[in-house]
Amino acid sequence: MNPQIRLVGVGLIVLFVGLFAQLNYLQVFHASALDAKPQNSRRIIKEYDSPRGNIVSADGTLLAYSKPVNSNFKYQRVYPQGSLFGQITGFFSFTYGSDGAEKTYDRVLTGATSQFNLPTSLKGLENELANSNKAQNIILTLSTKLQTVAAKALGNRVGSVVALDPKTGAILAMYSSPTFDPNLLSSTSQAQATQNYQSLVHAPGNPLSSGAYRNRFPPGSTFKMLTASAVYDRDPSLATKNYPVSSGLPLPDTKGQTLNNFAGERCGGQLLEDFTVSCNSAFGAIGLDLGAQNLAAEARAFGFDQTPPLDLPAVAQSYFPPASSFAQNPPALAKSAIGQENVAATPLEMALVAGGLANGGAIMVPHILARVTNSQNQVVSTFQPSTWLNATSGQTAAQMATLMQSVVYSANGTGVAVQIPGIRVAGKTGTAQTGTGTIDAWFASFAPVSNPTIAVGVLVENQPAGNQYQGGTIAAPIAKAMLEADLSGGGTAPAGGAPAGATTTTTAPRL
Amino acid sequence: MAAIARRPPRRRTELGLIILAVILTGGLYTLAGEGKSGSLPANIVPFLIVIFVLLVVAHIGMRFLAPDADPVLLPIAGLLNGIGYVFIARLVKHDAALQAVWTAIGVAAFLVTLAVVRRGRDLQRYRYSFGLLGVGLLLLPLVPGIGEDINGARLYIHLGPVNFEPAEAAKILLAIFFASIMVERAELLRTGTRRIGRFLVLDPKYLAPILLAWGFSLLILTAENDLGSSFLFFALFIAMLFVATGRYYYVGLGTVLFATGAVFALKFIGHAQSRVQAWINPWPHYNTNGYQIIQGWFAIAAGGVFGDGPGQGTPQQIPEAPTDFIFAVIAEEIGLVGATAVLIGILLMVGTGLRIALRAERPFEKLLATGLSLILGIQTFVIVAGVTRLIPLTGITLPFVSYGGSSLVTNYVLLALLLRLSHDTNSATAELVEAVAA
Repeated sequence: MNPQIRLVGVGLIVLFVGLFAQLNYLQVFHASALDAKPQNSRRIIKEYDSPRGNIVSADGTLLAYSKPVNSNFKYQRVYPQGSLFGQITGFFSFTYGSDGAEKTYDRVLTGATSQFNLPTSLKGLENELANSNKAQNIILTLSTKLQTVAAKALGNRVGSVVALDPKTGAILAMYSSPTFDPNLLSSTSQAQATQNYQSLVHAPGNPLSSGAYRNRFPPGSTFKMLTASAVYDRDPSLATKNYPVSSGLPLPDTKGQTLNNFAGERCGGQLLEDFTVSCNSAFGAIGLDLGAQNLAAEARAFGFDQTPPLDLPAVAQSYFPPASSFAQNPPALAKSAIGQENVAATPLEMALVAGGLANGGAIMVPHILARVTNSQNQVVSTFQPSTWLNATSGQTAAQMATLMQSVVYSANGTGVAVQIPGIRVAGKTGTAQTGTGTIDAWFASFAPVSNPTIAVGVLVENQPAGNQYQGGTIAAPIAKAMLEADLSGGGTAPAGGAPAGATTTTTAPRL
Repeated sequence: MAAIARRPPRRRTELGLIILAVILTGGLYTLAGEGKSGSLPANIVPFLIVIFVLLVVAHIGMRFLAPDADPVLLPIAGLLNGIGYVFIARLVKHDAALQAVWTAIGVAAFLVTLAVVRRGRDLQRYRYSFGLLGVGLLLLPLVPGIGEDINGARLYIHLGPVNFEPAEAAKILLAIFFASIMVERAELLRTGTRRIGRFLVLDPKYLAPILLAWGFSLLILTAENDLGSSFLFFALFIAMLFVATGRYYYVGLGTVLFATGAVFALKFIGHAQSRVQAWINPWPHYNTNGYQIIQGWFAIAAGGVFGDGPGQGTPQQIPEAPTDFIFAVIAEEIGLVGATAVLIGILLMVGTGLRIALRAERPFEKLLATGLSLILGIQTFVIVAGVTRLIPLTGITLPFVSYGGSSLVTNYVLLALLLRLSHDTNSATAELVEAVAA
């Protein structure tokens, strides 16, 4: 009987080898595929049962943390600054997933990216065991002060403010109104979160989606920065060409239509004069002189029709029509040269254009992340600034700075409202027709001109059409408030004391 | 010298291994408590004392009742029982308290079995009683009034407050029955062929028992919907028949009959159809019959190599986690490493059982030890392969690990019988050595 018993034993071992093989397949080779299955709620439940890292502003203000609670889950996400940073932090909701920095830096906040270092000493082992919290914190480039100034300056008007450091691309403030309070969605009561979400989704202006980088608008006269830059880059002779003084530009191929100047003003002359007073008739003619190829190429060089590499989800592209689309439609080219017709830009893009001109022609990669720290507040990694686009030459940038200062400092400039005593400011207004009888007021600027530390893009939507350049009267004061707040110091430098237990105490180099 | 050879320190080894098993179980229990609630389990000290006392009582019983028996079976069983308890306690506190009571009853049954069955071969005397009792128990759930449907299968009977799964006890009784009958008829079964032309075919007379067993399995399958037990009995029967006779045609015939039965089951039994559907591709049936198997997979995959840590997974999502799917919970929380350790533990028990069979002197003991070991091995394979979707899922317990009183008590009785057979052989050998030395 013994041979049969041995055979039976071998048979069982074969069966068990099958079990081991299948177990290895499931737990090692196929595990990540199973983890990623949409039906698998294990990962998200696990995320809810473990703390996420903090989100902290550049000055050390706590923007998001995980609070231990006694409910279905072990932690609840809390956003102490509420709606002020709502569109930056985004939300983290069991029912609706995540958005904003919570989404972009999910793997950092959960600790999925944190590395396990094999302890080399008993002390190290002890630390490793004590430090079971692998979650990492993210320190943002945004300043609470500038963000607050932006929110106050906009008030309850619908619009967006984007401020960035032109030399690094660091976003210093990005606020748009309406916004939302992410605490509404992180409620541990799913019924409550669902109700809040529904009312936010149906709220006017879609507060869940930041207008600053997800919505695009006709940029109006702020686009003249690109048209003027195209002149210097692609046809410098046009800079000194005298355009006739008139109240409007007769459009080609139309039966007597004209591209009118604002409030029927008469203007014209050379580029500097045309730019200073934001002369539509002259810029329409410049656009026609430049040609569709040149204008489209310049827009693309400055980032139109490309997604800015901002580290937030769903960043919108700004739009300039392809050159070929103007072949049969010269009037559209004239209108596009003044930022109307189908041209559309996000407030972020216009801030990036101003930033590029401030930074000698190079647009830096826009980013909200300054650095990552571990639970011991040691810096794990630091965001390295890099150039996104070499939009134009240093020479053109300098010439543009001259034009943009003229807007602010000439007696007839449209942007005089942004003047700040003791500091040279460059800027460009925009007053875009939206086709609904209202206008969008724009302002793009940077300062100080000699050594720019901040570039700002401001948009205030749906303002009643008036008889003034509203870019200069409505948007420019907001830009001024932002510049002043930054230039008065302390805007982005880390504050001395961080709130206990919640934020980093590491002083990191200014990016 | 002879004295040393006569009494190898088997029991001392056993005690050492028991202490090790208690330490491992206690450690796991502590970690599970830490992992789940972040604090030491409140009852850790009484818990350790209880499992230690239970195993030591079994051990002391062994010193008197089966001193020469193998030293590793009891500690491994205790360890598996302990691991199972920890995960049951981690899932459902109430079930854990019951499981502890059943463990105590199991240990008592273990001792009673050792005390009553003084020689393995004595069992042969009551073969027909065991056979009848086994068949009766299997059919008991069909009796109106005491049978109960649970999860679409009619497996349980309730006697007063206690639910009992009679198939569990039946498997041992039938193993004894099969072993004695097959040993008795081995010659006949071995030579029961007739030559027709150039072919050897089985004499219809000897075909009867295998057809009977097959029909019986099908009956359990159709009447009680118990796929697991049905397969276990049939596989056990065929394997034991092969061991008794050494004839491959029984294996061949068994396979053909099994395939026929499987086709029949697929055609006519909804329960079997849905299981096979969920096995072939569970994803389209995620919300229905594929849900459990997919949740089990998610759990196993989540575990990875080292597991989420005891108490730190989310096994609540798996239906039937403490019984049929306890293996998925183990795989989730102690990973590939822990799940492999559990399987190796059972494989060690099976291997030890088969070694007892190899060394036994009489055919009955050999066949019985083989049968009992096969029960452990086949049952483990059927449930683990079912949970991991290697084969269609059938509800059956993981020996010593799953929650379930009848299963636990039965497995302790099975263990006692294996140890009895081991003692028989070892003491006979020892006597022989003694005689030679004298």
